[in-house]
Amino acid sequence: MTLDWLPPTLIGVLLVLAVIGAVRRINLWRAGQAEKVDILAGLMAMPKRYLHDLHHVVERDKYMSRTHVATGGGFVLAMALTILVHLFGVESHILAWALLAALVMMFCGAIFVYKRRLNPPSRLSKGPWMRLPKSLLTFSITFFVLTLPAAGLPIVGMLPEGTGGWILTLVLSALILVSLSEMLFGMTWGGPMKHAFAGALHLAFHRRPERFGGGRSTGLKPVDFGDGVTIKEVYGVAKPTDFKWNQLLGFDACVQCGRCEAVCPAFAAGQPLNPKKLIQDMVVGLAGGTDEKYAGSPYPNVEVGHAKGAPNQIITDGLVNPDTLWSCTTCRACVEECPMMIEHVDAIVDMRRFLTLEKGETPNKGAQVLENIIATDNPNGYSPASRTHWAADQNLKVMKDVKQADVLFWVSDGAFDMRSQRILRSFVKLLKAANVDVAILGDEERDCGDVARRLGDDATFQSLAKRNLATLSKYRFNTIVTTDPHAFHCLRNEYGDFGSDALKDVEVLHHTTFLNRLIKEGRFHLSPLAGSKVTYHDPCYLGRYNGEYEAPRELLASLGIDVAEMERSRFRSRCCGGGGGAPITDIPGERRIADMRMEDVTSTGADMVAVGCQQCTAMLEGVVEPRPVVKDIAEILAGQLIEETH
Amino acid sequence: MQPNINVVSLVSIGRHPQSGRARRAEQDGRAVELGLTLAGQSLTVVHAGNAKEPVLRQYAGMGLPSLTVLEQSEGCDALPVLMSFLQDKSVDVVLTGVRAEGGESSGMLPYLLAEKLGWPLVPRVAEVLEIKNGEAEVLLALPRGQRRAVTVKLPFIASVDNAAQEARQTAFGPGLRADFKVLNGDSVVDEAASQWQISVAKPRPKRIKVVKAKTAADRMKAATAKPVGGGGKVLRNESSTEKAQAIFDLLIEEKVIR
Amino acid sequence: MSDLSSKDSSLDNLLRRDPRAEWIARNRLHPLHNEMLQIGGVEVRGPSGLLRKNPHVIGFIGPNGIKRIDRTNTSSASLGDKKRSSATKETQLPLHIVENPDFYIMVVADMVGGRLTGHDKDILGLAHQLVAKRNGAVTLVCFGDNKETQCDLAGVDRLVHLQGEIYEGFAPEARLNALLQIEAQYKPDYWLFPDSVHGGMDLACRLSARLGERLAAQAWQVNAEHTVCRGASASQDILRDTPRILTLLEECGDAIDESRHQVLPMAIDGIEQTTPAMVDKGLIAVDSNAVPLAEAEFILSAGNGIHNWDQFHAAAAALGATEGASRVAVDDGFMPRARQVGASGTWVTARVYLAVGISGAIQHMQGIGQCDKVVAINTDAGCDMVKRADLAVIADSEDVLAELIQLAQHYSLSKGQEEKSDAA
Ligand SMILES: Cc1cc2nc3c(=O)[nH]c(=O)nc-3n(C[C@H](O)[C@H](O)[C@H](O)COP(=O)(O)OP(=O)(O)OC[C@H]3O[C@@H](n4cnc5c(N)ncnc54)[C@H](O)[C@@H]3O)c2cc1C
Ligand code: SF4
Ligand code: SF4
Repeated sequence: MTLDWLPPTLIGVLLVLAVIGAVRRINLWRAGQAEKVDILAGLMAMPKRYLHDLHHVVERDKYMSRTHVATGGGFVLAMALTILVHLFGVESHILAWALLAALVMMFCGAIFVYKRRLNPPSRLSKGPWMRLPKSLLTFSITFFVLTLPAAGLPIVGMLPEGTGGWILTLVLSALILVSLSEMLFGMTWGGPMKHAFAGALHLAFHRRPERFGGGRSTGLKPVDFGDGVTIKEVYGVAKPTDFKWNQLLGFDACVQCGRCEAVCPAFAAGQPLNPKKLIQDMVVGLAGGTDEKYAGSPYPNVEVGHAKGAPNQIITDGLVNPDTLWSCTTCRACVEECPMMIEHVDAIVDMRRFLTLEKGETPNKGAQVLENIIATDNPNGYSPASRTHWAADQNLKVMKDVKQADVLFWVSDGAFDMRSQRILRSFVKLLKAANVDVAILGDEERDCGDVARRLGDDATFQSLAKRNLATLSKYRFNTIVTTDPHAFHCLRNEYGDFGSDALKDVEVLHHTTFLNRLIKEGRFHLSPLAGSKVTYHDPCYLGRYNGEYEAPRELLASLGIDVAEMERSRFRSRCCGGGGGAPITDIPGERRIADMRMEDVTSTGADMVAVGCQQCTAMLEGVVEPRPVVKDIAEILAGQLIEETH
Repeated sequence: MQPNINVVSLVSIGRHPQSGRARRAEQDGRAVELGLTLAGQSLTVVHAGNAKEPVLRQYAGMGLPSLTVLEQSEGCDALPVLMSFLQDKSVDVVLTGVRAEGGESSGMLPYLLAEKLGWPLVPRVAEVLEIKNGEAEVLLALPRGQRRAVTVKLPFIASVDNAAQEARQTAFGPGLRADFKVLNGDSVVDEAASQWQISVAKPRPKRIKVVKAKTAADRMKAATAKPVGGGGKVLRNESSTEKAQAIFDLLIEEKVIR
Repeated sequence: MSDLSSKDSSLDNLLRRDPRAEWIARNRLHPLHNEMLQIGGVEVRGPSGLLRKNPHVIGFIGPNGIKRIDRTNTSSASLGDKKRSSATKETQLPLHIVENPDFYIMVVADMVGGRLTGHDKDILGLAHQLVAKRNGAVTLVCFGDNKETQCDLAGVDRLVHLQGEIYEGFAPEARLNALLQIEAQYKPDYWLFPDSVHGGMDLACRLSARLGERLAAQAWQVNAEHTVCRGASASQDILRDTPRILTLLEECGDAIDESRHQVLPMAIDGIEQTTPAMVDKGLIAVDSNAVPLAEAEFILSAGNGIHNWDQFHAAAAALGATEGASRVAVDDGFMPRARQVGASGTWVTARVYLAVGISGAIQHMQGIGQCDKVVAINTDAGCDMVKRADLAVIADSEDVLAELIQLAQHYSLSKGQEEKSDAA
């Protein structure tokens, strides 16, 4: 009796099951909303995206990146060769040797996976994930043994005839069943290996293909309000199937590596948000079921096991608590860190849109702020006619009068806030010293819409954007400069969606970038700042959203400041807690995000923290004294300005 | 929610105090909110005026399935159309704001309706506690957060005070989807009002404390006296007792200690 | 403030020199020299300040042309030294008498707590302007308790005082019936009401609706022909003919202060009362700490500078204040979130905001922008709260709160006794 047919049959059956699972899974994704994707180009680009972009992220953890190349690469190769060698029985020593090599590679990788799993950091999920290294090892060993004969190497000690071989085949088959179930069946039926299948396709069909190849794509996608005549059934995402299909695909790609969790400021502050859990809840939603099997860290202070969801069930009715969604500061730290390139912020804002636009349930001050924005074009309900009061003594040109200028200074709502006005004045002082031909919009300016949009009110955002664009299109200027990174982001990355050419050929700059240019051109001169130890806080909307890490540092360097960097800086900068309307929705946690950030500052020993954002300034200054001084870079520069005497 | 109560909330176009732009009126919003707690989805919300006014969507966005508009051109008297609308229905409770944010803002509308319909008018309601056996128990808002309980027989009209539950957030989607029932209201032009001259409000000077002094010494004293309460006074070196006394005196002077 | 002029009356009793008069008295060539000496006394101060007697001017020319010397020195007023005594303060103001008035102006006052409010007094003043020297009587209509002792000084010519249980508390229907009877009996030229939350506006609207006469609301400039009213949330002025019924804003007129008035009671014939549709069930006891923060008129607010929380709560109770808190106090779990004042808490409108141990961060200040009087207790004289405060006390919060609790207890004790003796 020979059982030689058993291993290939098992492989074949599991492959068929995997294909069935894949079709099923694909159908789950296809339940989402249509989104135009270039399928072919995406598939073609996939390997490069994996090797380049994904690894660019994974690379931050060298250990894991090598492990993953060995394990993943080894597995993909081994699987392909296994199909040839064992399923189709191609008899080639070369192939068999190649297969052996791949399996050895995979084995080595799996050893490292195993080692990491011996004492996993808290961000990693446990549960089935703990068994994965064992499955990987089993797979590599089993197939190694199975392949030896094909490579012309009889199994060590020779195969005993009869029962011995029979038993060995049985044992091997059992091991094949175990490991291949994990690797193939699990891949498409929801096991840990699902990440490979969904991850690969997510790379191919990503909703923001611009992100690959070093690009940046951070602007939120607008809600389609149509022509204003036909009214859609729902605005925003109410049910999992309201997501775009490739968003659903993206959720499925999550490897539960918990890198997002590790960087999330809301999670660290003990607010009920954990981006990893959120993505897993989305998976529960798209596939239907409960979160009982979730084996990672929960939302702080929320017990796991009570969330239920289904593709057509409202997410906030039982799957995700709205407070989870409102805790997010939209800092994008999670997105920046996610190796699977999942877009948490898009998903969160999509769901917020439903809460705001459909349910009218923006928490705390949210409703009032939105109402104010609608009625006064600023979040605090100040008289729109008082927008330029701060500049009464600044002698600034107003576009309404001059019609054109080289530079348009976008003042932002800081105009209404006494603290922010100090930043504005400092900046104006520098502009004047550099003789810049600058004008402001004056009372014609409106809130940029940032807060409304992040609070989910895209209707108001779009209305503001369109009205602002209409105003901008009346005037001629080459550059827009603003001291507010949020306005900067909206103008630069989000206003483009509204079919206006008001910003065509216009460069939108943050004031630090602009000032840095002026300094390089020698347009004004500064005296060095001595006697202060200074650190710099990267605002999320300047750094991660717009990639500007250098200009602020160069500016500080031009004052002779050697920035004492915080451990979390640049793309890993920790949010101040001020973004995404989080101070407005103000979901309680155990700590304040700003307090944690101030601890980061203090631990550098700095006595001053430089920032480039009025919101960060407000948040950090909200930390109880004693603490380091908080100053916008414009303020620091203006203090060191050498005023030319003519 | 009270079963089988027919509630009508009347709404007008508000005016934002800072920007002067049209908005959901503060008190009318609360009238709708109160109506929703009393009658839920069966609440009728009525506006006399222009059905195209976008602000009406803000009321509808509070979750109203429909909103009735008695179409009228500007400058018309809302009273007759509202009267005929209400007379046709068997209404138990009519809720309005105390005072409109635009126009004359006399606050007369609920009174005139009540007078014409012969119903009682309950002014400045903060809360409706209970409606039972054809009688309602309501809380009136008094200054300083105080409340008075009053019972009133149905049907009645109530004007809703700022102390009532704040209007819920308005949601864009439901606002768009609400069904507007537009009825033709007849247009009686408000003749008297059309005679008025309306101008931007002149600032009213704050009354200075005129001291009708009979002598130069009095005048001098009046001119140099520190405003009572000692604006911006800082006590540093006095004893704790003196400091506390200074605070206590101010509290008494401001009449917050009773 | 009238108490300002009456305090410190010692000033008025000072001997005052009139340098000009003295100089004329010395200068015999001055055209007024004689007159001055005529009215003057005998004693004149010389340039050195010494008293001098002028023997020539002793005595005066009597009615029959003969010079007389008045040894009692009573008829001549003193020249140089004017001695004013506080007695003039107590002189009775002239009594304004109205007899058989040709018409009436009814002022229906709020009489909060049984006393005329400042608002009421302004309206009485305005009513007198409307009388405009004609023979009309300003009539105060008041309901329920009248504890006002100075109606005469406030300009009340006639008084309609309606007492009785039916008018007590919330009784707009009974009150309206009374007004209707007054209307029938006296047909007043004007009905003036305070445009207030104390019932003035409510009653005015009822009268206006019942009589079918359109009132002018929120009036602030009124004469016999024209009235200027605020409209559209006080953003517009509406100029219109003056109607017979008006509700008036505060400071619409100047309160009476130079005359006394008769306060003659007026009788009202049988008032027809019906069973009211609304029944007053009485005031609800609202604990000061249950008052919503936004409505509270006196807030005792705690910040990071409070270390003895029991004492803080005791102080709030003793002072009858509503409790507020800074965000830090809330974050640290000492106060509930609903008590947070500021940008992300409640925006308050208190008349007095007493901030204890609060530094005055911008976000906190945003919430108290509409408070009338801010009082700060803080150890740091340089903090922003102290800068903003109308009265700031630089001290440890615990010490001052302890003193305040004592003061409040004494005060309520003595008040309790006063009330007892009042009742006795
Ligand atoms: C977006 C945002 C929103 C915010 N919203 C709010 C808000 O709505 N409300 C709010 O309050 N804050 C808010 N904050 C926080 C605010 O910035 C301050 O951190 C907070 O108001 C400080 O509270 P505090 O004054 O109690 O504490 P501190 O700043 O620590 O001040 C304590 C004060 O007590 C004094 N003190 C200490 N000991 C004593 C003593 N024994 N006796 C007397 N005085 C003493 C100190 O001198 C100091 O002035 C917000 C911050 C941000 C960033
Ligand atoms: S955007 Fe920032 S706050 Fe939001 S989930 Fe990601 S890491 Fe957390
Ligand atoms: S969402 Fe991304 S970063 Fe977060 S656990 Fe999943 S794969 Fe990791």
